[in-house]
Amino acid sequence: MQDPRIRIATAAFLSLAAFMSLHGAAAVFLWWLVFTPRLQLAKRIRLVFSLILMIAFFSLVLELFGGGGLSYFTRMTVIVLIGMWLFSEQKSGEFLSIGVWLFGDRAGFELGMVAEMGIQSFVSVTADYDRIRMAEKIKGMHWEVRSLVPAGLVLVHGAIVRAEDTTELLAIRGYQHGGTLCPQFITRPLDIIAGMVAVCILLFALIPVSEFFILYR
Amino acid sequence: MGVPMVRITLNQVYAVRDQWSLSASGTFNEGVHLVSGDVGSGKSTLALMMAGLLPLSGGSIEKTGITSGMLSLQFPELHVTGLSVAEECTSWGVDPCKILEAIGLTEKKDISPLSLSRGELTQLHLACVLAKDYDLLLLDEPFSSLDCEEKVKLCARIGQKSQGITIIFTHEQNILPRVTRIWEIVDGTLVDCGTPPNAFQHWHHVPSVIEKLTALGSRPDNISLDDLREAACRIQG
Repeated sequence: MQDPRIRIATAAFLSLAAFMSLHGAAAVFLWWLVFTPRLQLAKRIRLVFSLILMIAFFSLVLELFGGGGLSYFTRMTVIVLIGMWLFSEQKSGEFLSIGVWLFGDRAGFELGMVAEMGIQSFVSVTADYDRIRMAEKIKGMHWEVRSLVPAGLVLVHGAIVRAEDTTELLAIRGYQHGGTLCPQFITRPLDIIAGMVAVCILLFALIPVSEFFILYR
Repeated sequence: MGVPMVRITLNQVYAVRDQWSLSASGTFNEGVHLVSGDVGSGKSTLALMMAGLLPLSGGSIEKTGITSGMLSLQFPELHVTGLSVAEECTSWGVDPCKILEAIGLTEKKDISPLSLSRGELTQLHLACVLAKDYDLLLLDEPFSSLDCEEKVKLCARIGQKSQGITIIFTHEQNILPRVTRIWEIVDGTLVDCGTPPNAFQHWHHVPSVIEKLTALGSRPDNISLDDLREAACRIQG
């Protein structure tokens, strides 16, 4: 999907639809199968597997102590798939363009810039984590919960150092607020179709299906 | 006789990433090897592949007689697994007292390694890495964040190694140890420049001081500071 405005709106609608109901989640999953490169995405973003494992753990706890764990797992997994698609399609500078398009050169520019920095930070943290795992292998260490503490400290420390560097750089360059940008977007027919289908799915998720069937009893 | 005890051979190894690629062939025998190249040329990628930490896009790496190996990553903070400086030394399997005394960080043994300056952390990291003997030692940009004095000490420490293969991946141009062979990455390909001093004529990244000395008719025998000084003294007569 080329147009980031439609992409982000679509992801928001689909996430909402998947969260609201199980039949909504099923419809969103079908949308994911039709409109995204599916498994190629999963191969590229390894983080998704650990996220799904984490969701599975909390779902199990929910199922054991209160029920509804399976529904929670299904809905959250579909939301993760949509998030994974959104992240993989993301290109550098898009948040800045959307920010300016939505809220103008001052607030929009700043919001967009913060979002861009957040994404960049996430990419850096992922790269750092890969290197930390390599360093642990070099030392002959095996992954264990205890090793998460130093790894987490290194990641947080690295993120803070980078944030400080960026702040200094902005200050040195005399940045005070806002900025000018002429955002340009490419909209393809398939973007509009996928977006409209997402709106339909959201409406479908809002319909109380069980009530609908009761009418025909 | 004549057959090296340890050896690592790259058989048409290549790595491809988006628009970028790296290909490497050659044999690294016992001794100290220098791999130079521009920033982003693929030195770290090659080091990771040689350490077996990065899958190859093609080709193979053959290791002969290598039973122990070590890779020092470019960013020492990524190696940190200890919550204190002493614990960090222990995680490398070395005696903290000895190491910290040698680098003058004994007083900081209880603080977090991440509280050290980048230079101190690099010193600590390299001291731990060099405390043991490995058949294959890969050092990725070991000179970064070190001051001149520490660079000289590191060169001396590397020069003391009498066995195994040591490969230094760096774009450092001024302070380097005496090396057995020089390699460089040019246009995405690993090139064997040969042994010094003959390697200098094929070496694209030859340090300017060596170029100047050679132009003045006093080519140094090798790339260490001692060799450069000796060559300079020859000019002065």
